[in-house]
Amino acid sequence: MPSATGDTGAETPVRAWKFLDSGHIAPFGGHVWPAPAAGSPGEWVRFSGREIFACRIVDLPWWIASELWEIELEAPVRAMETQVAAAAGRLLRRVLAWDSATLHAYGVACAERARDLALDALTRDGRLEEAQALARAPSMLELCRVARGLAGEARERLSSNLAGYGAESSMRASEGAAAAAANITANAVVAALDDPEVFDRERQWQAQWIAERAGLASIPVAAL
Amino acid sequence: MSTARRQDIACRELVEILTEFLEGALDEQLRTRVEQHLVLCPGCREYLRQFRATIGATRKLAEEDLPPRVRENLLNAFRDWRHGG
Repeated sequence: MPSATGDTGAETPVRAWKFLDSGHIAPFGGHVWPAPAAGSPGEWVRFSGREIFACRIVDLPWWIASELWEIELEAPVRAMETQVAAAAGRLLRRVLAWDSATLHAYGVACAERARDLALDALTRDGRLEEAQALARAPSMLELCRVARGLAGEARERLSSNLAGYGAESSMRASEGAAAAAANITANAVVAALDDPEVFDRERQWQAQWIAERAGLASIPVAAL
Repeated sequence: MSTARRQDIACRELVEILTEFLEGALDEQLRTRVEQHLVLCPGCREYLRQFRATIGATRKLAEEDLPPRVRENLLNAFRDWRHGG
């Protein structure tokens, strides 16, 4: 197991995951990655003075984009806090299970967790009718509307604060901004439990959700 | 405090360091924070896209592409800006 940062010790190419924008375009650099063709991996990509970055499963929630690819990284691979880096990489295959529907479902799943935190807090506060109204919301937009109304009341209460997180998270999910919905929910968990350490735990839950829905868990990721 | 959570960055901060980001002049930690913010913020992603498009367009301009009057106005604007006008 590698340390949080540093060389993973891998001496052979390492498989990892990489999010790209539509058209296999790097989200920040704008580079178009060579796609695999005719059963062969894409060409190796190597930048002058800049590394190639990719994800372990646990890193996935930090780098959400519309396309998810399996990538091979040239050894040695350097492990960082929320990604891994190597001098070169090439795309092996696109993860087809990660599509727009899965991306949307991910945002909704995260927003529902924020809603559930608010529901628990409202119930504990004896705000049962409000909790029921929140539970009945049939869509992300409606959830956002109801939660926003609850967040405006008794702002000093934890239940109202968590309703605010629920409103924000569901709004982002309804807009298709799943990464933002997930981030807001992770912050809601911190607020609910008054424990900053649970942020990473929520990120791990999110990573597991992605891995399961995208079918990543069954693929061994050597040395990561 | 979670080390990962500390990395939140505000839109305003990003705008201030975007040029350094594009030039690859940020240290690894700050560059990662910028990129993580871009994942979360459609507004900043659009700002980055426009910034890149502007750089791309201006690279195509030669000095002689500028009409003399526009050139003079532009130089005056820079002089005023440098003098705090």
